[in-house]
Amino acid sequence: MTATDGVFLVSAAVALVGALLAVGLRNIFHNILGFALAMLGVAGVFACLGSDFLAAVFVLVYVGAVAIAMVYAVMLSHPLDQPHRPRNGWKIAGAALLATVVAATLWSVLRLAPWPVLVPGGDNGAALTGTRFLSDYVLAFELVSVLLVVAMMGAVMVARRQRPGRGTW
Amino acid sequence: MSLSFVLGVATALFGIGLYGLLQRRSLVAMLISLELMLASISINVIALTTLTGQEPSLGQVVVLIFVGVAAAEVAIALSLFVAIHRAAHDIDVEHLSELKG
Repeated sequence: MTATDGVFLVSAAVALVGALLAVGLRNIFHNILGFALAMLGVAGVFACLGSDFLAAVFVLVYVGAVAIAMVYAVMLSHPLDQPHRPRNGWKIAGAALLATVVAATLWSVLRLAPWPVLVPGGDNGAALTGTRFLSDYVLAFELVSVLLVVAMMGAVMVARRQRPGRGTW
Repeated sequence: MSLSFVLGVATALFGIGLYGLLQRRSLVAMLISLELMLASISINVIALTTLTGQEPSLGQVVVLIFVGVAAAEVAIALSLFVAIHRAAHDIDVEHLSELKG
């Protein structure tokens, strides 16, 4: 077992534990912290797979931006003030059963598929990725930036407080 | 670090996310579960492009586009949650049923 394998095992364990915390805990703030932990683990998995740049992007975007935005949304909508409502045990059991069945089906398909396991290799550095983005995939790159601008403006429009006496816009 | 082990981790992450999406009632928690499922798909893409000796940088391009789209989705979803909370004073999906026939 090499050092990379050890780091991979730790990262995978962190990702799965973080995901369980993000889903299982009752307090929504703890869920967000578990989500950040899971994304750190996923970034570690990417780093072990050789995608250092992607690991950095996941830490920056998910831990740095998405989790903080979720904290803001929670503070603006204070769900912690809501009274605790009893849960329906059958719904929880059904959700667990359906998720298990779907995951097991996916796993059986993935396991039986004949993946061409060749020698790992090839350049997966950030330089080649950037070159590809600005040559072959420049349209997708520009479309994602347009999408982000539209999403930002849309978020401002949707979350804006409507003043009385003014129209819809 | 074999391919099947990485795929197994990603599948487990997907299952956890699906369970959360089905079981939680808070909109923010459902969004978190959705992001977990997206992350597991990203792991699959990177593992299948890196460990099978295809073109690793192609997988990175695809996952970076995923991240961009997911960030846009999170921005819209969170602003919608704030707007919904302002209108209904609740973000529990079982209580947001004005449109129910």
